[in-house]
This record gives sequence, structure tokens and C-alpha cells, in this order.
Amino acid sequence: MTETEKFSIPIGPQHPALKEPEHFVFSVDGEMVTSASVRLGYAHRGIEKSTENRNWAQNLYLLERICGICSHTHALTYCLGVEKLAGVEIPPRANAIRTLVAEMERVHSHLLWLGVAAHEAGFDTLFMYSWRDRETIMDLLEQLTGNRVNYSANVLGGVKFDVDEELAGAILDGLDYLEKRTYHYLDVVTTDAAFLQRTRGVGVMSAERAERLGVVGPTARASSVARDVRIDAPYAGYDEYVPNLIGHTTGDLEARFEVRIKELFESYRLIREILATIPEGELTSRMPRRIKANEAFSRVEAPRGEVFYYLRSNGSDKPDRIKVRTPTLCNMASVLTLVIGQQLADIPMILVGVDPCFSCNDRMVAINRGGRSEEVWTWERLRQYGIDYYGGSH
Amino acid sequence: MQTAERLQQARELLEPRALELVEPSTDRLDAEMSPDSLTAGVQALHDHRWGYLSTITGLDLGPDDGRLEVLYHFCSGGAIVTLRVKLPHEDPKVPTISKIIPSAVIFEQEIEEMLGIDVLDIPIKERLFLPDDWPDGVYPLRKDAQLEGDNE
Repeated sequence: MTETEKFSIPIGPQHPALKEPEHFVFSVDGEMVTSASVRLGYAHRGIEKSTENRNWAQNLYLLERICGICSHTHALTYCLGVEKLAGVEIPPRANAIRTLVAEMERVHSHLLWLGVAAHEAGFDTLFMYSWRDRETIMDLLEQLTGNRVNYSANVLGGVKFDVDEELAGAILDGLDYLEKRTYHYLDVVTTDAAFLQRTRGVGVMSAERAERLGVVGPTARASSVARDVRIDAPYAGYDEYVPNLIGHTTGDLEARFEVRIKELFESYRLIREILATIPEGELTSRMPRRIKANEAFSRVEAPRGEVFYYLRSNGSDKPDRIKVRTPTLCNMASVLTLVIGQQLADIPMILVGVDPCFSCNDRMVAINRGGRSEEVWTWERLRQYGIDYYGGSH
Repeated sequence: MQTAERLQQARELLEPRALELVEPSTDRLDAEMSPDSLTAGVQALHDHRWGYLSTITGLDLGPDDGRLEVLYHFCSGGAIVTLRVKLPHEDPKVPTISKIIPSAVIFEQEIEEMLGIDVLDIPIKERLFLPDDWPDGVYPLRKDAQLEGDNE
């Protein structure tokens, strides 16, 4: 065999096949991928460092903005961690509402993913329909919290919003519609011949490999790794409202579709259960402003898998360190190994199969290099700009 | 398996290799390790299929303590085992664990660029998150890093 020269294809940070900024280099032999590497950080905002300059309450608003899709997840993980640090118990009704929003968020996220994944497969009709239906849950989230994204449902020590009869009725009506539609989508992704050609047997990950690569969330469960934080280490209201683990054994793209769609049914069931049995009571507990030196971990099952926070307090009103690990970082390693031996054309599908979220992944620090700061604004300047803008003639 | 059982199992695996074991709460076991015994500890957990590496956290313990710390978090069900390695502020070095757990590379790259911890024998030396024109020797997550916006 003669040695052939390696041909590298750079993809990104801006590329039609990617929805977010990341950079991959794939080496190919003909159409087959032989190696892959990734460069992240294009959406890195230095959030972990920024938390050290803000107090506990301010950080809630910062961390919720790590991700526009699973914002509630981040706010929730943070709140659970801070409450653990301070030893504060929150009222049962607040726990139920946190769980309710978390499941509604999962519904919106999985439907969003279904659309993106369908689009990557060249099935734009499915993309349009699933995003149309996703509006149902977006509207409900807006009715509940006032926001389509960054719901800001949490406060340290509880939640801000309550659910009344009327809203509960609207949510139940919305779920009835969504459930019907979800059966249809399950049918489409498991029977449509053209679609199955893009998913069945593509990007197969064995259970052993999934374990070794440390993948999380639906990506892991589609490869028969039984891992779900809601079940393994219940938080918020999940010890009362227990989800069934949705797994699959084939570990290919089809399995990842099936797992996520079936998880939607579980979310619908949990939301109905919460609305039927929600305990009466207060929405918040009192939180101290300063927290004694301590450390805590907090884990939450985001739509994409486990989110892990490490929090450290030092007795002041600001954290000493907050470390955020999002599921995409864990799952990225699997993409780099799964694409090897696959067709180049399947890369976008394999990538989208883990439901990557890069703003989650990256968290920019502006650096002071004496004098050269015209393009970089200080916090003070940005703040003043905001005050002038809103306080002025606008 | 219950959380307590899992922790007990981890305790048995780590006892011969750790400097100190503590259980800060009912779902946690923290094992103080020396940089030299770290890989042995990771190997023991890995060989017995004890959970998975959830992430690696790098910390600057601040000027009073004068040290850096690296935490390796392993999760199994509801149990969390953390291997803790304390390092000097000057010339901190830890061995790579990526030979045992390949997916650890991404976390190791992160502690290298964010905290300036030298991960020995790491297979990828390139930057992961920081921009290409980021100055050498500035580690943003160190407490003494001079970054714009700090004066707030």
C-alpha cells in the first residue's frame, strides 16, 4: 500500500453546516473521515471568572444567561448549589414549580432539537412543523414567567411565579395538542424510509464506548447507558415526580431520535402529575446575604445531559469560585471519535445527534493590555452606556 | 446500589492510595491525593468501573493559602467522589489522567490554559477556549490575574 497524503477539511467557525461557532478539522481519505479535532471558545465569555466579582443574587442573572435554551437549568443548578451552601430548605410548592418549568423547558428544547436535526437531514418540512408546534410550549412558558427564554423563574430560596387554575388549564390543553403531534413525529422518525437512511446505523456508539467517553444525557441513554440525574440523585421535586428512564440499545442516530421523542411523553406525564398534585404553600424561604466558607456540588439533568456546578463560598457575599460543566463538553469527545470511519456527509448529522450547545460550552474575558482598549468596553462604561441610553431621550 | 454502598466501595479502593479521606456530606467522599498517587487512584476507580469522570475543577486557593488545587469529580448514581490534589503556586504540575480516561483531555486543557497548571504528558498541548492572540503567562482563573472589569 502506498502512503497517501492526508487531506484536511476545516469546518467553521462560520460554516453553513454549523449553527453555532466552533472549528473542526477533519482529515479525509476520499469521502471517509480518518481523524477529527475541535477548537472551542468562540463564544467564551469568561462567565466563571465574572461570578467572582458579583454577589450571590447578581450571579443568578448572569448564570441563567449561560445558555438561551436551557436557561432554567443553569439558574436551577446554581440555586440548588447556593441553597446547599447556605443550608436553606425551600418550600415544597417552590420545588414543584421548579420541576414544572424544568420539564416545560425540556419539551421546548427537545422540539427545538428535533427541528434542527431534521433540517440537517434535509427534511425541512419536519423542521417547520416541529418548530411550529414548539411555539405552543413557548407561549405557555411566556404565560407562566413572562419570558420565552431566560425565564427567571428562580430566586435564591424559591421561585418567583405561581401557577393558578387558569394557567394550569392552558398548560394541559397545550400538552394534549403536543402529545398528539409527538406521536406523529415518533411515527415519522421511525418509519420514513428516506429519513431512516440518514439515521439508521449511522454514528453507532456502543454502551462500552459511551461509558468510556463519559457521555451524558439522551446521547448516553440511546447507547443503553442508564444515566439520568433526575433518577440517580433526585433534586428539586424529582423524588416525588419520578421520571421513567428512556433508553435504547442500538446507539445509532435513530436511537437518539427515538429516545428524545419518547422523553417528551415522560415530560408531558410529569407536568400533568405536578399540576394535579401541586402542594399549597409559600414560594420562598429566607436566604442569608453572606454565606460562610463552604463548598457544594450541584447536579441537574439538563435536556442535553448532566450539568455539574462546583460552588465555593468564603464568608462574603460573593462566591470564591464557581465551576460550570455543561453536557456538550462531555459529549463533544464522543463526536470526535464517532465520525472516524464515517462518510463526510454524515458529519453534520452526527454532530447534531448529541444536541450540541456551544454557548453552554464556552463561557470572553477582556484583557487589559494598556491603551489598546477601544474595542473592549469596561463594565463601568457599558453600565454608563446603559444608563444614558435608557435614561436619555429613548 | 445505594449511595452509602457506593461510597464505601470507593473508600476501599482509595484508602491505600490517599493521604486523607473525608465525607463532607452523606453523598460525598473527598480523597486528598499527592500528585504522584493521583493516577493510581484514578486507575483504581476506573478498573472497578466506579462511576464516570464528571469533570475536573481547577481552583486558586487565594493568597492566604498560596496554593492551587485540582479536583477530579467522579459520579456514580447519587454518590460523588472527589480526588483533590494541592499544588504549589509556582510551577504546578500534575500527571495527565487521559491515558486512563481519554475524555479527560478536554478538562485538562482547560486547567492548563485557565490556571497555568502544567499537565505532564497531555496528548494535546493546544488551546481550547482562549483566543490565539491571548498573551502567554496570563491565566484568567488565577486570583492575581489582571483582567479588565475587575475594578467593578
